[in-house]
Amino acid sequence: MTDPIAAKENAPRVARDVAVRASHVSMDFGNGVLAVNDASFELEKGRFLTILGPSGSGKTTLLQMIAGFQKQTAGEITINGKPVDAAPPHRRSIGMVFQKLALFPHMTAAENVAFPLKMRRFNPRQIAGRVDQFLDLVRLGGYGDRRINALSGGQQQRVAIARALVFEPDLLLLDEPLAALDVKLREEMQLEFRRIQHQLGVTTINVTHDQREALVVSDNIIVMDGGRIQQQAEPVELYRAPENPFVAGFLGLSSFVDGSATADGNLKVGDIVVQGTSARDFAAGTRVVAAIRAEQIRLAGTSEALGACDMKLEGRVADTIFEGERQMYVVEIGALSGATFRVYHHDPDSFGLFRVGDPVALGWNRRDLKIFSPAA
Amino acid sequence: MHVRTGGFPVLIMAVACLPAGTGPGQTLSTRHRNAAMPEIPSKDDTHTTFRYPLRWRIMDALNGGLDRFWPARMSPYTGWALIMPALLLVGVLVLGLFEMADNSLHTLDRATFRLSEAYTLENYQTVMESATYGRVITRSVFAAGLTVFFTLLLALPYAYIMVRTTSSAVRKALLVTLFLPFFIGQVVRAYGLLIILGTTGVANNALGLVGIEPMRLLFNFPAVVFGLVQYMLPFAVLMLAPALTAIPRETETAASSLGANWVQGFRHVVLPMAKPGLIGAGLVVGTLALTDFAMPAMLGGGSQDFIANAIYDQFFRTADQGLGAALALLLVVLGSVIVGIVISIFGAGTLGMGNRK
Repeated sequence: MTDPIAAKENAPRVARDVAVRASHVSMDFGNGVLAVNDASFELEKGRFLTILGPSGSGKTTLLQMIAGFQKQTAGEITINGKPVDAAPPHRRSIGMVFQKLALFPHMTAAENVAFPLKMRRFNPRQIAGRVDQFLDLVRLGGYGDRRINALSGGQQQRVAIARALVFEPDLLLLDEPLAALDVKLREEMQLEFRRIQHQLGVTTINVTHDQREALVVSDNIIVMDGGRIQQQAEPVELYRAPENPFVAGFLGLSSFVDGSATADGNLKVGDIVVQGTSARDFAAGTRVVAAIRAEQIRLAGTSEALGACDMKLEGRVADTIFEGERQMYVVEIGALSGATFRVYHHDPDSFGLFRVGDPVALGWNRRDLKIFSPAA
Repeated sequence: MHVRTGGFPVLIMAVACLPAGTGPGQTLSTRHRNAAMPEIPSKDDTHTTFRYPLRWRIMDALNGGLDRFWPARMSPYTGWALIMPALLLVGVLVLGLFEMADNSLHTLDRATFRLSEAYTLENYQTVMESATYGRVITRSVFAAGLTVFFTLLLALPYAYIMVRTTSSAVRKALLVTLFLPFFIGQVVRAYGLLIILGTTGVANNALGLVGIEPMRLLFNFPAVVFGLVQYMLPFAVLMLAPALTAIPRETETAASSLGANWVQGFRHVVLPMAKPGLIGAGLVVGTLALTDFAMPAMLGGGSQDFIANAIYDQFFRTADQGLGAALALLLVVLGSVIVGIVISIFGAGTLGMGNRK
């Protein structure tokens, strides 16, 4: 007699070709707070996942556990269906690009790239060709003989990428390697990571606190805070449909309003009912918080000038901030007990349309004001 | 044009609120800046929370005095003034060397016990032709080489563990153990080793417990090298520790993620990156060992003399200053040549102050 449940559990799980699976992974450093708290996720082969979160959110710890530099105190991590918890880092097939790159300064660029091939006992006759091939891939052909110190910051990044990929690992890990670069170089390297990842099709996990980077490079994003996975979704979905106030606030620029839920699923602040939408039903009177993004609010001098909106409110300009390509207004709504909204105004013809103290009207559509349970 | 005029009324009001003459020497522009931050109330000088610390007053007074003593126009020579004491010290040594060089060119007149008038290379000839001195020189160089090898062999893991351990208790214990011998002079330590290694000493007693007959552990070549390694270890560790600290932990982590096990990582990453430290420590240990006096004298018991012991004998036993000076100069030349060869092959390591070869 076979146990059907056991049989199902023992069957090879190749249906969706999962490359990395973490189940209920926790990390307890023994200081009373779980650095990673019951994290579970799956990553399909060939996909680019970004773990996004503020510093101290546990994202780096999670990456270190996948790489094998730290051992989780609970849960299991599998790579290509095999549990890796017992394997030391050098036995895992993982390439990693480190925050400070950690290139070997006593070797040339080519020797750095050849290092993992030597350590992993590749055929010595193939090493030279493969090193050249990967230096070409990162557009460093001809720089192989350079010492690491003789390369620019961007070139060093490229050597680090080539070194992490040259042995064709099952998984590529990026531990905030772009954090220290200036904006221009960072944006250039983000596109390079994307290009190389698409070209090789290597499954990649990237860790960053840069929401823009996460949206630009990833197929899939995990948002972490306080050691917990807050949400996992594709970039567009994550941005459009945040599941909690933290995600709504961490990606993009959101304004928040506290209030209570109404029976028909809207938000009540004082006597005013604000039109909004919610992913779940709240009992009338439950304390809730609503969030709306700065670009989803319309701004005009009068309510009539707003055009058709589900919700219109009048207020005053409390502050104006010039951001170059657009103007941001902070608008105070007296009727909502002084709640402030941050609004982007994007009109190339009329920068500085309003001044501090001017009366203005705000409008938005019901689906854009998201109602959540207050953050714990 | 309505661009960015929103803040103006507030600004003008704030300026009006400022007390007349907010401070001596305040220009219009700084007053303007104060006004641009209306939320910070301007404070009277009497209510200031910042007091000029006494430490700063003392430093100001000292600086004032120094300015009178060493005016700013002398500043191009400050570097020379600072290096002067060191130059004087080295200068005296060099003078002494010249004096010795002169002495080494005169032989001892055994009738009068004074140095001969005529210049001669006889002393050098004596050293070159003497089998004894040949043995002494070979022994010194060989022992120095062995000492460097064993000291670095022991110091590297010691320094590595001290730098890399995550336990501060372990690090402190290692540091204290390292510094304790510094408080005890070389002679006392050599004497301690005499007690431990003697025929009835701790080492032989321990061997006796496992049924091994007492053996002579002292007054032979290994005893001297043992004593030297024991003496040099702290120097080597202290010179290696900063070199190892300079290797980021992440490079080792990277090596392991690239497929290197611990031994390979140490061999291919830590060791080459620690090379400057190893060379610096090796040079210091080597020169100190080559010129050592106490260990061969005490642990060698007269049978294992180094060059320094031979020099001592010439100066203070036979009173042959000429021969002693010749030996001393040979030691200086020998040491310099060896150091020169090492530096020309490997570079000066950490002693090169960042100049890579």
